[in-house]
Amino acid sequence: MAKRNFDNAETLLKVEHLCQYFKMDGSELKAVDDVNFEIKKGEVFGLVGESGCGKTTTGRSIIKLYNITGGNVFFKGIRIAAGKRGYENAIAKAKADYKAAVKEHPDQEAQLKAAMEKTVSEQKEAMKLAMEEQKSCDREYAKQQTAAVKAKYAPLLEKATGDEKAALQSEYRNELRKARNAKLVTQIQMIFQDPIASLDPRMTVRDIIAEGLVIQGERNKQAIDDKVNEMLELVGLVREHATRYPHEFSGGQRQRIGVARSVIMNPELIIADEPVSALDVSVQAQVINLLNELREKFGLTILFIAHDLSVVKYFSDRIGVMYFGKMVEMASSDELFAHPLHPYTRSLLSAIPLPDPIYEKSRQRITYNPLAEHDYSVDKPSFREIVPGHFVQCNDEEFARYQEEMKK
Amino acid sequence: METKLQVRDLRISFRTSNGKVQAVRGIDFDLAKGETLAIVGESGSGKSVTSKAILGIQAANALTESGEIIYDGKDLLKISEEEFHKIRGDKIAMIFQDPMSSLNPIVKIGRQLTEAMILKGKARQRESRSNFNTYLKSLSNAMVEVLAKNDPAKASQIKTMCKNFDKFEFKHIDLESAYSDAHEAALEALDDLEVEIFELEKHSTKDATDRINDIATQAKASINDYVVKEDADRIKTLASGLNGLWKKAKKDHEYAEILKSMYEIREILQKAVSKDVPNFFRMGYYVTFSGQPLPDLPVDQLNDFLLKYLDENFMLEFISNAKAALEYTAGISYENLAKAVETLEAAIPVYQREELNKKEAYETYKMMQGAVMATVDPLNIHKDSLTFTFGSSVKSEIDRYFAAIGLNVKAEKAHEKDQKKYDRLLAKGKVPDWEVAAAAIIDLELVKKNIVHLIERLAENYKTILDQRSQRDYQAQTVEVIDYLKANASGVVEKVTHRVAKRRAIKLMDEVGIAEPHKRYNQYPFEFSGGMRQRIVIAIALAANPDILICDEPTTALDVTIQSQILELINKLKRERQLSVIFITHDLGVVANMADRVAVMYAGKIVEYGTAEDIFYHAAHPYTWALMSSMPDLDTDEKLEAIPGTPPNMIYPPVGDAFAPRNKYAMKIDFEKQPPMFQISDTHFAATWLLHPDAPKIDPPKAIQDRIARMKNRTEA
Repeated sequence: MAKRNFDNAETLLKVEHLCQYFKMDGSELKAVDDVNFEIKKGEVFGLVGESGCGKTTTGRSIIKLYNITGGNVFFKGIRIAAGKRGYENAIAKAKADYKAAVKEHPDQEAQLKAAMEKTVSEQKEAMKLAMEEQKSCDREYAKQQTAAVKAKYAPLLEKATGDEKAALQSEYRNELRKARNAKLVTQIQMIFQDPIASLDPRMTVRDIIAEGLVIQGERNKQAIDDKVNEMLELVGLVREHATRYPHEFSGGQRQRIGVARSVIMNPELIIADEPVSALDVSVQAQVINLLNELREKFGLTILFIAHDLSVVKYFSDRIGVMYFGKMVEMASSDELFAHPLHPYTRSLLSAIPLPDPIYEKSRQRITYNPLAEHDYSVDKPSFREIVPGHFVQCNDEEFARYQEEMKK
Repeated sequence: METKLQVRDLRISFRTSNGKVQAVRGIDFDLAKGETLAIVGESGSGKSVTSKAILGIQAANALTESGEIIYDGKDLLKISEEEFHKIRGDKIAMIFQDPMSSLNPIVKIGRQLTEAMILKGKARQRESRSNFNTYLKSLSNAMVEVLAKNDPAKASQIKTMCKNFDKFEFKHIDLESAYSDAHEAALEALDDLEVEIFELEKHSTKDATDRINDIATQAKASINDYVVKEDADRIKTLASGLNGLWKKAKKDHEYAEILKSMYEIREILQKAVSKDVPNFFRMGYYVTFSGQPLPDLPVDQLNDFLLKYLDENFMLEFISNAKAALEYTAGISYENLAKAVETLEAAIPVYQREELNKKEAYETYKMMQGAVMATVDPLNIHKDSLTFTFGSSVKSEIDRYFAAIGLNVKAEKAHEKDQKKYDRLLAKGKVPDWEVAAAAIIDLELVKKNIVHLIERLAENYKTILDQRSQRDYQAQTVEVIDYLKANASGVVEKVTHRVAKRRAIKLMDEVGIAEPHKRYNQYPFEFSGGMRQRIVIAIALAANPDILICDEPTTALDVTIQSQILELINKLKRERQLSVIFITHDLGVVANMADRVAVMYAGKIVEYGTAEDIFYHAAHPYTWALMSSMPDLDTDEKLEAIPGTPPNMIYPPVGDAFAPRNKYAMKIDFEKQPPMFQISDTHFAATWLLHPDAPKIDPPKAIQDRIARMKNRTEA
């Protein structure tokens, strides 16, 4: 696949300091910890890492299947998810700093206290705003949509008369209801890994594919059927399949149904969570080709989560590598495979099996042991840009070394 | 190379309500010891059915139409379920694709790992005990028969001798297992120390309490006369103090003290494990019968001393007696073998008649069975399993023959009825939306052929044994007999208690790369991630130390790093244990990594067969090409070539090449006639008409040629 450049494209999704913690036995499991990335419109962003590294959790947090612990998610510039943890930490830190400072300079207590209280109230204010924004994002979106529908139909309704007017009016009411129920998040759709588990065995294919439309408020049966048929043909199935049940299909066909279900909502962003991992090779190729066609046809943006690196390399424009909840490296896919910098990425790349026996017999897997690899006791790491577009999680010493390496 | 498993002309079908699905249609392959054979193909190509047949776990509606799967001289398709219990899991183990469905969700991981160990341990103990006793008794009887037929004094002397062997052998096992427990404990403690010292030096923040307690226990367990002896007191003190030191270190973040203590333990243990090992077999005899304490000598001198003592007092005589006994019983067996060959050959025509006579068939079978069982030599430790399975397999075939006569009539009738119904509908001008299923007829000729084949093979086998009579080395066999008795004795002593099983399970969990096995041991399967679950499944499969490991897509659901680790693990175990592996997958990258040889399957047949190099660099079958080009590698830029269409419906297998409808290189003959296996080189075979001398020359698709060129560049670079 020829890799495209999206430097100048509009940013569709922006993830800022995303944290997703889970409570476990009194302590917290940091499933996703301070992850940052952007996806441009029309781009395919691949997320790789071993199982349990938090890539699926990242996808699910974006689509608001979880309430995120900290950070922000912006979709089309609107904050759709926000967490309190960052603000809470800042407040706690301000208070702790204040206490320490008072101990050192007891004479300036009043001054320090005022500064502390100012920070705290600022943070509280920001937190309140963030929470309100993410709560009201759907309402705002519905308002926009309603206004658009009203603006569209008002002149038409005025002109129309008689029967035509009645028909138009019912159409208007239908559209208006849909607009009122509209949710911004439905612009993001998900394709799940397991095509068997993700389809309700007691619903027909038509019901499965149309479910989103129905929830959105579409009641016109004819319109639904037309749309479903269109989708079925789009993903390479035929109309007759609409009345069947999922168990009557092979794995690849089921995954196509999953794709049709997400594409019918006309989304701008698709989160594909290991869509081909459970499929046979030949079927895998069919589904990848299908996603490729859809991307070209609709200009879809895709967040592609997978662990098969050959497929990710083939399909993605940019790739982020995750390790234990942290993003450790991010670059365009060619760049990442040509110049992997972080030792974990190197270890990951060294593990890819290639269909070449002689190479395979001599392939040495590099093991990654963070304890042996990094010394973060003093010099703390952060996510830094080594060369334009190529980010690595590193500390000062490593930063210098990586830059040296890239110059070669 | 030694062949472990042979599959010959295997045909398996499934009876379904729509007709007979022909899942496997005559496949042949061999599996050598220590080799990996990869079976590649799409789902529904029959690769899993084949592997399940090897393990004897086919679905209830499966029908084995012909073929044999020979393991260790036994035909796995014929042996009884009872006998299969000894093979399944123990000798041939399987790793399934979906780890969740092969684990019990409501039983803790630890129990699932140890359950089989404990059960098998008990069974093995019983079996070893009975083996040992029976064999020693037959040996003693045979000795008396040859050497002391009319001499009661000598006879009783021989009997005492055998009893003595029993006594001191068990002493030997006690001594040896005490030593090996201690030695193993020392090695384990060293392994753990290595890891812990590394982590402490790096100031890791992980909680090491479990591991430190482990080290302490193991270090204490390593005290033995031949492991940690002089430093026994010192190591006890050090080990006991370890926990306290760790608690202190954890509180103060000051690791120097505990590290110092660990260094010292490591030094002592390293010295201990490199010591010489005395011969416990000889020592056992000395300790039991000399009535004196062991002389204080260095280990090599001690060994010589003990050897002399044992030979003079016992061993030389025992060996000469045993040899005489072996020769005697073997002679009888050879006579019976010659007779059996005659009986078998005389029986063949009975089963070649147009229609078998029920009475005659069963009577001849009984006669053969009697002759065959008479050939068994009680002192031959190599049980000829063909002899033992012969009766049951012939009988089951005869039973099948007579049952099939009735079944075939029924099937015909049902088919006729369906056909009539179909024709009636057609006559009415309707086009039914169903098709008439072919009648499920059992081929009687095939059954008869199977019976004759069984008899012929056994007769052949006996003739070979008779031919090799003069080459038999009784001296070597006597030594083998003693080893056999030793092995069984150790089987009796080796108790698998819960504690031992737990220790072994934890070691296995560690070996397959599960962090904190102590904690994980008490968790339920749902608390594990997919990769971890698969590791548990592998650990369970390996617990019994199998000969053959069947891996049915073991890494398909795992991510690359884990996949790579698990493949390395399987490869490592394969090397260490000389394991033969059958690896079923559709991931060609994995195949390239694992396989020594590759069989590509499509629609129940092997379409291409060769070494990994043959298949990847010189693929000849269009289906192999299609598989290869549908998978991206790291340099793929062009559109992927998906294989169009779906595999054929195996109720109506195609007349010609099954791949023809999806094959863009298909010729006219592909739709008319099945291609035979063409030999390309000594190791490389493919079933495609493209290899026929008259076929047009077709090069592999460009994508594949490019890829091979890239591979060559990479190898040269």
